Amino acid sequence: MLEIKNLHASVEGEDQEILKGVNLTINKGEIHAIMGPNGSGKSTLAKVVSGHPEYEITDGEILFEGEDITELDADERAHLGMFLAFQYPIEVPGITNRTLLRESYNTIARENGREELDPIEFDDYLKEKLDVIDMKDEFLERSINTGFSGGEKKKNEVFQMAVLNPKLAFMDETDSGLDIDALKIVSDGINKIAGPENAIVLITHYQRLLNYITPDYVHVMMGGKIVKSAGKELALELEDQGYEQLEKEFSLNGEAQ
Amino acid sequence: MSVAVKEKETILNFLDGDFGSVSNIPAIAGLNEKGAGNISEFPFPTRKDEDWRFTDLRSISRNHFVPVAEAGAESIGDISDYYLPEATNSRLVFVNGEYNPELSSTKDIPENVVVGNMAAYSDHDILETHLGKYTNYDEDQDVFAALNDANFKDGTFIYVPKETKVEAPIHILNVFTDAKKAFYATPRVLFVGEAYSKATIVEEHVALTQNEYLNVTVNEFKLFEGAHVHHARIQRDSKKANHISRPIAHLDKYAEYHSYTICLGAKLFRNDPRVVQNDEEVDFTIDGLVLIDGDQIADTHSAIDHRHWHAKSHQLHKVVVNDNAHSIFNGKIFVRKDSQKIDSFQENRNLLLSENGTVNTKPQLEIFSDDVLCSHGATIGHLNEDEVFYLHSRGLTKKKARELLVYAFTLESIETMEVESVHKLLLDEVVKYTSRDEEFVAVGK
Ligand SMILES: Nc1ncnc2c1ncn2[C@@H]1O[C@H](COP(=O)(O)OP(=O)(O)OP(=O)(O)O)[C@@H](O)[C@H]1O
Ligand SMILES: [Mg+2]
Repeated sequence: MLEIKNLHASVEGEDQEILKGVNLTINKGEIHAIMGPNGSGKSTLAKVVSGHPEYEITDGEILFEGEDITELDADERAHLGMFLAFQYPIEVPGITNRTLLRESYNTIARENGREELDPIEFDDYLKEKLDVIDMKDEFLERSINTGFSGGEKKKNEVFQMAVLNPKLAFMDETDSGLDIDALKIVSDGINKIAGPENAIVLITHYQRLLNYITPDYVHVMMGGKIVKSAGKELALELEDQGYEQLEKEFSLNGEAQ
Repeated sequence: MSVAVKEKETILNFLDGDFGSVSNIPAIAGLNEKGAGNISEFPFPTRKDEDWRFTDLRSISRNHFVPVAEAGAESIGDISDYYLPEATNSRLVFVNGEYNPELSSTKDIPENVVVGNMAAYSDHDILETHLGKYTNYDEDQDVFAALNDANFKDGTFIYVPKETKVEAPIHILNVFTDAKKAFYATPRVLFVGEAYSKATIVEEHVALTQNEYLNVTVNEFKLFEGAHVHHARIQRDSKKANHISRPIAHLDKYAEYHSYTICLGAKLFRNDPRVVQNDEEVDFTIDGLVLIDGDQIADTHSAIDHRHWHAKSHQLHKVVVNDNAHSIFNGKIFVRKDSQKIDSFQENRNLLLSENGTVNTKPQLEIFSDDVLCSHGATIGHLNEDEVFYLHSRGLTKKKARELLVYAFTLESIETMEVESVHKLLLDEVVKYTSRDEEFVAVGK
């Protein structure tokens, strides 16, 4: 579904590379976890994949369902079925969740030749999806993330994902800052959404999320690269040992190169 | 004498008119005479005047305006598109400043209430007593208020007696038609609300085509004890017009006056709203929403005068500027020595959509009292690019994302509209403003 090949990226207009040759392949039906220390480039990878204009791809390619998407705008990527749950979901005062989601849903439907939903149909559809994440109706009327608690913002990202039903979702630290109840709700929601036709990439610092969601692969990102990939046991290993051992190996490798 | 003294300019340099002719209504005639004197005396403002420092008046001073009668103005056709369904029978129509009885209808106005053309009330006590008694623009040698005084013959006269509520909103529809020459018009409003009366006014200025004219408006609102007024002001003048507006409200004890001025049109819009507190416990609003682009100039110079205890005032002035447009805001708030327990809110929020737009803003507090809660501030910002990206990443085009964000910015002001169709009309205007064909010029954070 997604193939990232030797991806290099920097902040638009600056020389300093943040992504320094990322390789990653994700297939339908898979759940991936990306871990790694602060500042290693995890969020940058997610944003570059979703088309954030702040970054410039200097080398490599991103293929989505075989098509090179590096030249596409963020909205066009969303129309193809890509989704980013933000690490820091921003507040948009004045635009309600309902307004955004209806506009999003119908735009994506239109772009894919599917039927748009009228306000009443859409409301029914939204109500269904609220259950996925145990959210109250009143959230629909509220301005996007405005005045939401940290946990509510994260839930709202999962809710948006449930509504838009993307093929591929990058979820950037959706688990951070959640208390145990919210973590369960969010993981349950993600598990409900995950299926054979879609793929999910969880960016996380914590093994605890992976107690609820079982990844097929765990990757470690360091210094702008994926330095190690393995099965779910890697997460436990990291939880035990931290990144020190890997850091040594990686910097040795780095020197050897 | 060897020094050549440059003759000071008056507004008469820029317009033709015979200001010797006066109305046959004594109350109006008196003002006509006073105004005629003043316009030949008061100097036309220049950039050297503090109150006009930022305002480019060349769209007036490089033009020449004639009386409507000499302008070759087109006659009015069907304008029912501009009627408000809530005000089908509570509407006064003025075409280029002249009352049009055929297009007006006041069937829904209660018997004891007056809503009509002041020229039809030749010996009405209330008109005699109040007309011209509230404007204080002469103190500033205001040439525009003087022009209105000198020239107006028709005008809106609303009188709501004690404890009377006018259910239907009163629609004052000022329509401007195409003309061969640039002309001037001087709409006038006198509103008198007696004790514990209640009314909703929708004052609208709308052009049928994009022609040049000078629209000089004076509004006088007198609210007696406990009177309530909701006053929506919609300015959809021609983008080549000049609109100078002088609305003043005098509030007695317990009075509530809430006004919302929406500026969409005009090449130059200058609005000087004033509120004077005559007694304790008043509550008022003079909010504004300005949406301008091209080379439009929108200038608000407001003055709020707290003279007594327990006043609550609110002024949210929101501005969106695109292209080369220019917004000016100067909000004076006075709190006199003897007025305590004042709760005054003032904020000017500006959203700049282009590199070349200009915003001048100056909240100005003059407080001579100590028990006062005054919050005031001004912000100037661009669209937040993170917000744009958030929406964009959800599948909305950048243009749509920006539209929604501008829309969200304006919504707070529009939601205050009590009359449903006005609310709807403004939402449509905002969509029209934000969804112009050209892309917004993207501006960084
Ligand atoms: N817009 C930007 N401008 C400047 N530097 C940036 C920008 N975006 C990312 N960086 C830098 O790139 C590096 C990677 O940042 P990124 O946010 O991708 O890390 P991360 O792995 O997500 O970290 P965390 O675990 O703390 O979320 C950091 O050093 C960061 O400061
Ligand atoms: Mg991050």
